[in-house]
Amino acid sequence: MLEALAVKKQFGAKLALDDVSLNVQPGDIYCLLGANGAGKTTLINLFLNFIQPTAGQLLIDKHDVTAQPLETKRLLAYIPEQVNLYSQLSGVENLAFFATLAIGEELPRERLIELLQAAGLPLQAADDRVGTYSKGMRQKVGIAIALAKNAKALLLDEPTSGLDPSAANEFSELLVNASRNGVAILTTTHDLFHAKQTGTRIGIMRRGKLVQELSSADVSHADLQALYLEHMRA
Amino acid sequence: MILTIARKDFREIIRDGRMLWAAALIIILSVVAMASGSIRQSQINSERAAGQALDYQAWLQQGERHPHDAAEQGMHVFKPEPPLAVLDPGIEPFVGSTVWLQAHRQSELKFRPAQDATGLQRFGQLSPAWIVQVLVPLLIIVIGFGTISGERERGTLRQLLSIGVPARKLLLGKALALAACAFALVIPAWLVFSIVAVGRLPSTERLDVVYRMAWLIAGYGLYLGFFVFLTIAVSALVRSSRAAVVLLLGFWVAATLIAPRTASEVANVVYPTPSRLDFNNHLSHDISEAAGQAWKSTFNVDAQWDSSLPLSKWGAALRVDDHAGYGVLDQTFGKLWDTFEHQQRFQQWVGLLAPVITLRGFSMGLAGTDFAQHRDFSTAAELQRRKIQDIVSDDLVAHADTLGNAHFSYKAGAKLWATVPEFKYQLPTVGFAAARYWRDLLLLAVMFAAAALLAHAAVSRSLKRVA
Repeated sequence: MLEALAVKKQFGAKLALDDVSLNVQPGDIYCLLGANGAGKTTLINLFLNFIQPTAGQLLIDKHDVTAQPLETKRLLAYIPEQVNLYSQLSGVENLAFFATLAIGEELPRERLIELLQAAGLPLQAADDRVGTYSKGMRQKVGIAIALAKNAKALLLDEPTSGLDPSAANEFSELLVNASRNGVAILTTTHDLFHAKQTGTRIGIMRRGKLVQELSSADVSHADLQALYLEHMRA
Repeated sequence: MILTIARKDFREIIRDGRMLWAAALIIILSVVAMASGSIRQSQINSERAAGQALDYQAWLQQGERHPHDAAEQGMHVFKPEPPLAVLDPGIEPFVGSTVWLQAHRQSELKFRPAQDATGLQRFGQLSPAWIVQVLVPLLIIVIGFGTISGERERGTLRQLLSIGVPARKLLLGKALALAACAFALVIPAWLVFSIVAVGRLPSTERLDVVYRMAWLIAGYGLYLGFFVFLTIAVSALVRSSRAAVVLLLGFWVAATLIAPRTASEVANVVYPTPSRLDFNNHLSHDISEAAGQAWKSTFNVDAQWDSSLPLSKWGAALRVDDHAGYGVLDQTFGKLWDTFEHQQRFQQWVGLLAPVITLRGFSMGLAGTDFAQHRDFSTAAELQRRKIQDIVSDDLVAHADTLGNAHFSYKAGAKLWATVPEFKYQLPTVGFAAARYWRDLLLLAVMFAAAALLAHAAVSRSLKRVA
């Protein structure tokens, strides 16, 4: 579903991504690990077509991201570290707005409430202005937007950063549920525990290269930590 | 998609206190300006009509007297205020409205041309037009400066881009929301005024006012649209909302407050108008010279009213004297008025940098309160004056000449006075204004299109740089 084929991205003299290839299948939760500046967010931005690759190709459901940006954006949803919403509007109004833009039709209020509840937002918070929401509640609205869009691929950039353990765990459960419905998920994280716990596959990035890929089922928490530290020290 | 974005933005703006306070202020000012203007106009027009009718009655009932004495007394005629002067008084407050039609000189008119040169430069009284020209663009800036920069600062622009919102639709949605706010403040008050104003008019004049309103709506729509797109463009181009508001307010001050005054001063330098004293001296000199030549060629005398001319010829002499002055008056006033019109056309070009200048000229023109329509009235009044002179002179030629030296004892009566028709001035139609101001509308359209293109380029660039 999400494919990066020998992708390079250069910012001036700096090589941010160097020959990165990966493939995220439907139902996969692919966790990208790496230090700051490793190129994780750059890869997400490339899939979103916020920036264009210097070389290589990015595909979403076989559609080229650069050549067919509107088609690929219809297939994916994006949840950044800080889900940015309109603070003057309520949760349900934000969802209505983004969902209408994404799917091209207005959903009835009942359906919007259903989606927010499916994303774990308390019913009584739906009509509160988003300005009063915690980060976790904003993430849930972000998930509800993805659900409304019925996205085939989900791109997440440090989604659990700054969430308390309970909220992070709740969020991970939502991702697992989405993956069970066949959504391909690519998420960046610094959280090894979260990657091992939630991910089906793990990629470790260092200085723009994807230095190792492994299946989370094949590695223990301790081994993952050791491997990660080994790559970071190299 | 466009409507969805517009609805969301509109809802956000409404929930923001800035809009409500500004809107309340603008609506109150508009209603006060329209109500007071309507009451004032109604009083003025009835007073002017009554004054003119009274003066004409006095003319008709002046009894028996020498025709030239009657011509010296003359009569007053009044310029009716056009219905849309309530919206835009234009130059009306700065030019005379009463013309004294008396013997010999157009310079006795209460319209004082040299003074009017400075009057034309005075702008800025509280009127519905001024509110839309000056305050509504400020409101657009205040509510719209963060329309793109704010999205970028909040991170929602990135969210919109991830959904695949195209630049054109984002721009149009945002423009629609801002325009809806601006027009929501203007349209209801103007609509109510139009209905009331049109309803008060005789049916023959209604269509003309409706056409004028349509032109005005087009002009003001393009002008406000220019500010909507300019605000979005600047908001998209600069790095922060703070920078956007500073730049936009700077432009507003320069373009709506400073530029009109500067343009007026520069126009006066490029096309200078004489002082009143110079104008009058020049006019007196030229009239005297022309009359002297006419007397010489007609009566072979060296001076006007030369004692060698028999009194029996004074009727003919009056006619010669008057006609000698007509050409000078036409030429001298024409030159001055042409200078005013050159000044106005010069300012139209400055309007490329400050659209309020273009809009002001256009608005005055379509409201019927510009200089061209003032000139039209002055010309009509002068023609009436000459009609009186000719009737009086012809009567003197026909009667007094036969009396020889008893010329001054001749008296005419009501029969002669009644041959002077009542002065009935018909305001020019919309075609008169449209023929003069279609270029201004075109210029506003060009500025609107330029702002829209700039905004499109700026929003596209902003979306490309969002990552």
